[in-house]
Amino acid sequence: MSTTGAAIELRGVTKTFGGTTAVANLDLTIPRGALYGFIGPNGAGKTTSIRMIMSILFPDSGELKVLGRDSALDAKDKIGYLPEERGVYRKMRVAAYLMYIARLKGVPDKGLSERVSAYVARVGLAGVEGKRCEELSKGMLQKIQFVAAIIHEPDLLILDEPFSGLDPVSMRQLREQIIAEHARGATILFSTHVMQQAEEICDHVVMIHRGRKMLDDPVSSIRSRYDPRALVLEPLDAGADVAGVRALAGVESCERHEGAYNVELEPGFDVAGAISRIAAALPVARIEVKRPRLEDVFVQIVTDRGDSADAARALRAELADQSPQAAI
Amino acid sequence: MSKVLQIAGREFVATVFTKAFIIGLLVFPAIVGVMSLVGPKLFGPDPNFAIAGQLAVVDPTGEVTPELHSALIKGTPAADLAAVIRAAQGEAFGGSVLSALGAAPKLTLVERPAEVNLEQEKAWLRVEDKDSPHLALAVIHANAVEPKPGETALGSYDLYVPPKQDTRVEIGVQQAVREAIIGARFKARGLDRGQVNDLSTVPRVRSVTVSDSADRGTVGGFQFVLPLAFMFLLFMGVMGSGQGLLTTTIEEKSSRVIEVLLSAVSPMQLMAGKLLGHMAISLLAMSLYIAMGLAVLTSFSLFGLLNFALIPYLLVFFVLAFFTIGSLMMAVGSAVNDMREAQSLMLPMTLLLIVPWILWMPISRDPDSTLSVVVSFLPPVNSFGMLLRLASSHPPPTWQVWLSIAIGVLGVVGAVWFASKVFRIGLLMFGKPPNFGTLVRWVRDA
Repeated sequence: MSTTGAAIELRGVTKTFGGTTAVANLDLTIPRGALYGFIGPNGAGKTTSIRMIMSILFPDSGELKVLGRDSALDAKDKIGYLPEERGVYRKMRVAAYLMYIARLKGVPDKGLSERVSAYVARVGLAGVEGKRCEELSKGMLQKIQFVAAIIHEPDLLILDEPFSGLDPVSMRQLREQIIAEHARGATILFSTHVMQQAEEICDHVVMIHRGRKMLDDPVSSIRSRYDPRALVLEPLDAGADVAGVRALAGVESCERHEGAYNVELEPGFDVAGAISRIAAALPVARIEVKRPRLEDVFVQIVTDRGDSADAARALRAELADQSPQAAI
Repeated sequence: MSKVLQIAGREFVATVFTKAFIIGLLVFPAIVGVMSLVGPKLFGPDPNFAIAGQLAVVDPTGEVTPELHSALIKGTPAADLAAVIRAAQGEAFGGSVLSALGAAPKLTLVERPAEVNLEQEKAWLRVEDKDSPHLALAVIHANAVEPKPGETALGSYDLYVPPKQDTRVEIGVQQAVREAIIGARFKARGLDRGQVNDLSTVPRVRSVTVSDSADRGTVGGFQFVLPLAFMFLLFMGVMGSGQGLLTTTIEEKSSRVIEVLLSAVSPMQLMAGKLLGHMAISLLAMSLYIAMGLAVLTSFSLFGLLNFALIPYLLVFFVLAFFTIGSLMMAVGSAVNDMREAQSLMLPMTLLLIVPWILWMPISRDPDSTLSVVVSFLPPVNSFGMLLRLASSHPPPTWQVWLSIAIGVLGVVGAVWFASKVFRIGLLMFGKPPNFGTLVRWVRDA
């Protein structure tokens, strides 16, 4: 196993529960200072992988290094972790809870109270330090839990589904905090089944499905690799005849869809040239490249790897249930 | 180590500084105090209670009825009856009978002929008479005073009472008839009952305990109660905090705070911190009770009767029992989702902890018996067994105490090893609660 400056290194990590393989032969390298999205549908193996990275679970086989150590147990004070299943001591006061977690993370007592107040204010909750945790709303608690994950200024921050259950305003605040932590220099591994969130925050995406890694690339690379060959066409006259468009060279199909037309181009055809020719053939109100949705990429990868069409459809339906449509 | 202490400190503070703990800690001594004040009034004799009504007697001997008549009907003062009972039964038991009887009875004696139809007489008991209720029918056996010719055995009597009869009335009537039969027997033989009583009575004396410091009157039952008191302290300490470990572990697991903790500490650190914190809680409670016990002994000038070497032994055996039971409780807490699911896994442990209570009497009475020795070497009850023997009137040899401690340490190592394996896996397991077989599989897999 190499000893590069990676924040997280997994080599051939496998974990089974009884007869179920949760994670199979997973290789993963996350460089220091990166912001990685760890995506996949529910049950894909994301949380199990994260728990192994955190040394909460231990792999059946494979090698694992976290911040250069063989076990996260040796580096827990440098890791911030917001688990998917998170909770607090409901009877404890907010400040006492955060101070307790901070002390467990090795933060010295000196100035701890002030640090707690500053972090609580940073997430927009100044003044709640004296309240019992049970008095806070779910969204407020989630912010407190995020503070508990970052109060010791970790080198590595692992966030498992950090946005679940948050309203849009809180979601935006939390996104800003994650970006701020990244800007501070923390390496961030961010797990979600909502692919749009990964796209908005991360610069690199790891896709996992049924415990196996399906994709591990920068978002920009994914964009170029899964180059679009579909356009969205909205004629100036909604009732205009699009037969001329269908007859253009390189156009495979032109089908009406939700008040506009989906124009499919032949593989390898020049997109810019097609746009010019369509605009010349028909007065258009709007014509643009239809950017591929992340879930499309995901389903395509799954299908390419041999899953049946039915399995791919089921996966697409599952992803559609879980997330708003996301485009890269 | 500092993380372990942090966890221990939080467990201690979160438990000790709660109203529930303070109330729980004080409730036992409070109950004892209140009962010592109110108990005699609640359970003692009612001075206003008097047996009043009719007692039917069928007396084929013709000798018992006059005795009964003179004792009960002719306005014999309660003091005379008390004297009779005391003379017959001695101060100790007679006193309790008198207490049960309360005020002197106001009975009307209904004499029935010897050749009566018993069924008709029984029917008399079912006749309601609000002014003078029908209390009982006593049928004296023909040989109650004199044996039948050719026999030596004396007879007794049959007593019939209506349904829902007050037990105090029944006891009073039984006592009166019994006294009357005894009186008739004495009279029939021309004996002076008072003289016989005097001759057959030797007053009970109080022994004197000779100690190194000074001789003092032996306190009845002290050596009997002392092992029980020590076992109670041990049981309270182990079960009180064991229960706390179980519930806090379940709470942390069900509230999902456990994964946050596991991101900061290892399962072993978490387990060690919780064990230490709850051990400190139990030690606090035990110290308070020990201090209260010593204060009571001092107030009754019994301080010198206690062997103070027992207190360090209590602490040693507490630590052994606590780590054994406490770690297993945590294992159970980590494996289940709520208290209801914990019950089935707790059952074997609860049954084990009942064993010392069942064996308290035989061990205290015979601390060197094979049973006592075996129990004091058998974890996890060895701590209880050995402490009972140490506090008894005949403590075991020192080598047995050290052997029991050594076995206890091995028991602790085994229990903590088993519990740590279950704890590590169980904490993140949700859904169907495991059975014992699953726990064993977890231990193998961990």
